[in-house]
Amino acid sequence: MIRCFLVAALAAAALLTAGPAGAAAPSVGECLDCHGDKSIEMTTPGGQTVSLHVDLEEYRRSVHGGGSCVTCHTDAKSPHERLAKVNCGRCHGDAAKSYASSSHGKLRAKGVADVPACHDCHGKHGIRKSKDPAARTFHLNIAAACLRCHKDRAIERKYGLPGEKEMIGYERSVHGLASKGGQMGSAVCPDCHGNHTILPGDNPKSATNRQNIPTLCGKCHTGILDKYERSVHAKGMRAGIAESPVCTDCHGEHTISKVSDPNSPVAARNIPKTCSRCHDKEGISSRYALPKKRFSSYMDSFHGIAVEYGMTKAANCASCHGVHDILPSSDPASTVNKANLPNTCGRCHPKAGPNFAKGPVHVEITPSKSLGVFAIRVFYTLFISALVILFVLHVGLEMYGRWNRRRKGGAEGKGSPK
Amino acid sequence: MSKADLAQGKVIRMSLLFRVQHLLLTVLLLVLALTGFALMYHENALAQAIIRFEGGVQNRGVVHRIAAVLLMANMAYHIFYMLLSREGRAEFRDFLVSRKDIDEFLQSLRYNVGMTSEYPRFGRYGFKEKFQYWGTSVGILLIAFTGFMLWAETFSMRVFPKFVLDLALIIHGYQGLLGFLLLFLWHVYNVHFAPSVFPMNPSWITGKVSAEWLRREHPLEYEKLKGEGLL
Repeated sequence: MIRCFLVAALAAAALLTAGPAGAAAPSVGECLDCHGDKSIEMTTPGGQTVSLHVDLEEYRRSVHGGGSCVTCHTDAKSPHERLAKVNCGRCHGDAAKSYASSSHGKLRAKGVADVPACHDCHGKHGIRKSKDPAARTFHLNIAAACLRCHKDRAIERKYGLPGEKEMIGYERSVHGLASKGGQMGSAVCPDCHGNHTILPGDNPKSATNRQNIPTLCGKCHTGILDKYERSVHAKGMRAGIAESPVCTDCHGEHTISKVSDPNSPVAARNIPKTCSRCHDKEGISSRYALPKKRFSSYMDSFHGIAVEYGMTKAANCASCHGVHDILPSSDPASTVNKANLPNTCGRCHPKAGPNFAKGPVHVEITPSKSLGVFAIRVFYTLFISALVILFVLHVGLEMYGRWNRRRKGGAEGKGSPK
Repeated sequence: MSKADLAQGKVIRMSLLFRVQHLLLTVLLLVLALTGFALMYHENALAQAIIRFEGGVQNRGVVHRIAAVLLMANMAYHIFYMLLSREGRAEFRDFLVSRKDIDEFLQSLRYNVGMTSEYPRFGRYGFKEKFQYWGTSVGILLIAFTGFMLWAETFSMRVFPKFVLDLALIIHGYQGLLGFLLLFLWHVYNVHFAPSVFPMNPSWITGKVSAEWLRREHPLEYEKLKGEGLL
């Protein structure tokens, strides 16, 4: 019974759609009678002249090339006035739906003209599958398609976008360079931002929203995501603490570069500054009960000085605390847990055993933290000050004596000293 | 003492060997101070310029240790010379500290405040020279000891807890500062700016001082030389 009904419904639908179209629809050849002419053009209400030429070859090679003009230009007759806008969503319903929910789609729906519609990224008659290297949306071509607008200063300013510096930064980033070098595995714009559903990062649904960043980067950097998930930073981030760093806080966003790049925020030499962007903040230390003065005590140590002067084999923060899997020292699995310190120091100093790891590593010169060092410093400061004062007094006294004897005149005669 | 010297009223106070030791000491201590304080005060712009001049932190360390080894060699030679050679043993005896030095120090104070008109009758070395000599020696030994602890880091890390090395580091630095100030204030004053020698006691270069200066500043030594017929 149900089957009979379905068959009937299908037959009715076929009649309704195919019937009227079949009656009046021009064939591709008929359309090309006019549109094959290279000089055919029209003037828009805005006064612009637009070519109406359609390159048959290009169309035939496109993904839609086996179809006919009226599949998209449903209202085309021969001859015809201005046609309605093509609605890709008639076939590509899912894409149209997600596009409509994106920043681009929402603005477009409001009638803003300078945000991209389907054809701005995909092309018109020459649309190719994104796997086709000639497609505009091909992996290695898509960044150029996005940057056509996103490197435009006027557009960047109009919509309060990050600015062309970031965009140029992408081109020089490890991802951008890999993409330019033809690496299919390189991250290009839609890999992070999504394609049809692009949303600004402050939208919780955006792929590039803070809370989604680790998962996003982890799409490619799986092993690192696993490590990060174990870290105290991930724990904080999953708990919704916005101060807890995600990938981009240390690595940067568009400008991401290799660790070996000296300008990278995670290059050995820059690590202390990168970590201390948060860990040298009074507020953060207090809120999360972290020990203070980690940066200054490190920078005063030999490790700190050596790294500062480019001797990057000396330990930076990450050498001891770990990189993606950083844990608090209270955690038994932490590389800086008391029990693991001999092992951690031993990675560079093989002979530094359990005996060495006694006492604080970051030396803060205060009575409560490092009494011995504090006492010696106080002793020397007093001793040196006293010595200098006594010395000055002594010189003063010698001068006074000399002046005094001179004043009293020649009583001392030539024979007496000074 | 040559006849020409005597005719000019000059007396030898530093033999060539001592002058060489002294010159080495001067140069090496300056190098050590320059490289060491650059690290100690690394946040200072001048220190940073010095570290860059020395070719970075690693080269700075190499220069510092080369100078340190040379200084140790100089020290070792000096100790052997002072203990084993005839000239050295005599010098060593002259450098021994006794009750007399304290008396002389107090007397020089009294002399300068005007409580007595008699200047202390110093021997070859008075309290100033002895304080200088022993202060520097003890300081250098302390710096050398802590310095070797820090240099032999692999050994030290096996033997000592980290806080011992933290202590060694701070002693090394501050003792260096103390020694540097002692030399730059006390010694440079005594051999350059003190009125009796201004602008300079020339003996560290020529080895000689004037007999007249010796008679005023070190009368016992003067009389001893005279008694030995050397003047």
